[in-house]
Amino acid sequence: MLFPRALSLWRNLVHRDARERDLDAEVRSYAAMLEEEMVERGLPREEARRRAAIEVGGAEQVKEDVRAVRMGALLEATGRDARHALRALARTPGFTLAAVAALALGIGATTAIFSVVDAVLLRPLPYRDPEGLAVVFNHGFTAVSPANLLDWKRQATRLSGLAAAESWGTNLGGGDRTERLEGVHVSADLFPMLGVTPLQGRLFGPEEDRPGSPRAVLLGYRLWQRRFGGDPGIVGRPILLDGEAHTVVGVMPRGFEFPPFWATGAELWAPLALADRSANREAESLRAFARLAPGASLAEARAELAAIAARLERAYPGTNRDVTLRALDDVVVGHVRLALYVLLGAVSFLLLIACANVAHMLLARAAARQREIALRAALGAGRGRLLRQLLTESLVLALIGGAAGVGLAAAALRALVAISPGNLPRLETAGLDPSVLVVTALVSLATGVAFGVVPALQAARQDPSASLREGERGSTAGGGHRLRRALMASELGLALVLLVGAGLMIRTFVALRAFDPGFDTRHVVSAVVSLTGSRAADPPRRLAFYREMLERVRALPGVEQAATINHLPLAGDVWRVPFHVEGRPLDAPGEGPRATYRVVSPGYFATMSLPLVRGRDFGADDALGADGVVIVNESVAQRFWPGVDPVGRRITLDDPEKPVWLTVVGVARNAARGEWAAAPDQEVYLPLLQSRTYLEKEGGPFTFMTLVVKAREDPGAIASSVRSAVWQLDGSVAVSDLQTMEEVVAHSTASPRFYLLLLGSFAAVALVLAAVGVYGVMSYSVARRRGEIGIRMALGARPRDVLALVMGESLGVAAAGAVSGLACALALTRLMSGLLYGVAASDPATFASVAAVLTLVALVAAWLPARRAIRADPLAALRSH
Amino acid sequence: MAAPAHLLQGTLDLLILKALSLGPMHGLAIARRIEQVTRGAFAVKPGSLFPALHRMEEAGWLSSSWGESANNRRARYYALTAAGRRQLKTETREWGRIALAIESALRA
Repeated sequence: MLFPRALSLWRNLVHRDARERDLDAEVRSYAAMLEEEMVERGLPREEARRRAAIEVGGAEQVKEDVRAVRMGALLEATGRDARHALRALARTPGFTLAAVAALALGIGATTAIFSVVDAVLLRPLPYRDPEGLAVVFNHGFTAVSPANLLDWKRQATRLSGLAAAESWGTNLGGGDRTERLEGVHVSADLFPMLGVTPLQGRLFGPEEDRPGSPRAVLLGYRLWQRRFGGDPGIVGRPILLDGEAHTVVGVMPRGFEFPPFWATGAELWAPLALADRSANREAESLRAFARLAPGASLAEARAELAAIAARLERAYPGTNRDVTLRALDDVVVGHVRLALYVLLGAVSFLLLIACANVAHMLLARAAARQREIALRAALGAGRGRLLRQLLTESLVLALIGGAAGVGLAAAALRALVAISPGNLPRLETAGLDPSVLVVTALVSLATGVAFGVVPALQAARQDPSASLREGERGSTAGGGHRLRRALMASELGLALVLLVGAGLMIRTFVALRAFDPGFDTRHVVSAVVSLTGSRAADPPRRLAFYREMLERVRALPGVEQAATINHLPLAGDVWRVPFHVEGRPLDAPGEGPRATYRVVSPGYFATMSLPLVRGRDFGADDALGADGVVIVNESVAQRFWPGVDPVGRRITLDDPEKPVWLTVVGVARNAARGEWAAAPDQEVYLPLLQSRTYLEKEGGPFTFMTLVVKAREDPGAIASSVRSAVWQLDGSVAVSDLQTMEEVVAHSTASPRFYLLLLGSFAAVALVLAAVGVYGVMSYSVARRRGEIGIRMALGARPRDVLALVMGESLGVAAAGAVSGLACALALTRLMSGLLYGVAASDPATFASVAAVLTLVALVAAWLPARRAIRADPLAALRSH
Repeated sequence: MAAPAHLLQGTLDLLILKALSLGPMHGLAIARRIEQVTRGAFAVKPGSLFPALHRMEEAGWLSSSWGESANNRRARYYALTAAGRRQLKTETREWGRIALAIESALRA
């Protein structure tokens, strides 16, 4: 049965013209035979023809009925309706453009944001069974020591794997310039645990994960392309890292990164080879990653690990405090989840506003076309046919809007990736998501259908003659108008929520801008200078190199001061070391105070314009062999020497049982540390000239310093001459991360700026859409009451009264919208308080000013049509009535 | 046209099938034949005849082709298909059952 039906459908569609001709011929042949029959019965030819024509009736109607029963009739009619709809839409370009724009904005923005959320939050991480991967946390941080890691690994039964990684910076030689690369040292079992396979070559074998074995390295895809031109022959060849040959054993696939929340710039991996420090329980430099044993839950594994750690804490007091596991997925995206959900919520509000707007426009259009519809109904168009046609018009509109939305979404997504603050993991993998396109398309289609059909139903239900008589003031307008006022109120309410959100982000951003990092950010440029693998790294030459470098940089034109620091505030690492204050009782192991550890050359405080509130800076005499000195920040001074001058007091960073005392010579102002606007923490500054660690110790972390240079004028202008000066001194030294302090600050406030930008643009679009909506409703309302206004003015009402009448109506609706919007905002902004700084989620000033802005918009949007009404000639208005 | 409207469709189908069981006919001949056998009770107008014919053709009960009428006019002839014959049998049986049921209902 299916096949002949399909065939018939095909015939009807393809041979439509033939069918039409056939039908036409059939009807005419019938009429001719009827006429013949009547002539035979004796009627005159003329009369016979007339009667035959009457009997066949509206030949068109007969044909239409026949078409309706034909298979495929529906499809054919839809095609006809679609063509008709396109023509009708083209006749009102203003309406069409506005509706398409509103739909495209809603669909485009929603799709783009949802695609980001999908890529970052919803899609599983690209490892085998990613839900079974977890990260070990040790007193709130991800850093663990080798001995603890090995103990956990030996004892845990709920984990099938526990692998380690350690941050690694290395200098790649062999090119024109030594290049500083970020890498990760990994235990040999890490990559197999993740279930990743290399693109070329192989992973590390267990024999390579031992000290003294031949040095092996895995290249990242980008590095392989950039430095080796994607040469497949690279596998098995040696490359020069920190001056030593490493054999490339493989290349990782494109886009591979691990872990996706830390050291994400890593471009190469080498074996960790822990063995010689496997007894070290102090240095917490490793990150530990676990895989749950088959059948084990995260909670079980966490409980077991806590029990193991508790046993170890008894054996080694001060260690193994608060050891827990968190799902890898949670660690990777936990910090951006809130922001992304807030954005998703905001953008769906925007979609709702856009839909409400389109609904307005469709309702207004239907009202304006009531006369046309009534006329067509009177001329014999079936109700179903009219309905179908209006419906098609809405659908065509929604489809065009949807198509434009897809284009907009693609563009918006590219823009989002370009301006994102770089803390959204996997953002670069975001692509337009078909499922979200389907959802947004359905929402816009539903809008088109709901608001294209309601007025169509009303129009078709009416008595055509009544509607024709009443003309534009169709009797259904009252109900339609109530609906439109409800739409206007909800649009205003939704826009208000978005505006409050954006307003709170603006206040946050202003507060962040006003935050004082404690040092001058406008005149300083910084660069990481890494000696690793260079001639200058040799302990006897290292100090000489730093001295000579600073002298050369200070001699550059435009440079006021220069210094070095181990970890630059905001950009560099934050290392915290335990310390002990002379004269205080000894703390239990692991219970003592800790401070951020800074190692600086003389002149650092002057270079950063970071004031010393007491005492002095380090001098050239504070060198090895002289008495140990230290500068503490205000937090340390206030905690340990409140109301007393700390200068001359002593602390030690060593074991308090065998202390090497350092005398406090100065107190520095509190400064921003790792995160912008985070609460200040205790900091200790040690002189580089006395630091055996930084002057003599071998190894990556200790053979680089950050050079900070204070410029007289524009710091960007001297950046390249600073780099040249370092390279003139020694070309084998790597200079990287050359940036002004303003760029560093901009980077650390990039996330709130990104959220502000997005929320702000959503709110702006929402405001425009809401204003257009109010304008539309009030224009319609004024048009409907033109007669009434005319009568009022003829009876002596002043323009002011009419204005008050119209604007009062708008104000009433706006008030309803504002009240519901404020209530909604109050409930919803609480959810985003995690994104705010320096402002409460229920900030009254923001709420009040947003409500005021929205009221103003509603008034202006009502004032425009009202002004038109009072300017119109009252007589003309009455006559048209 | 004397028959109540709601009875018309099913009845008209049955009447068309019955008319065509005599052999292929064109539209006007079908209308006249129905008028004749119902003694004028059903005056079938083109407005209902054509949609019915086309619907029945789509349903596969009828086939149609162009031919010459008695007075040399080109006319579209409809003929029963095998499915149409089966349909006539079923509908006749159905009709008999309904008629019987209604008759007994009215007598009771």
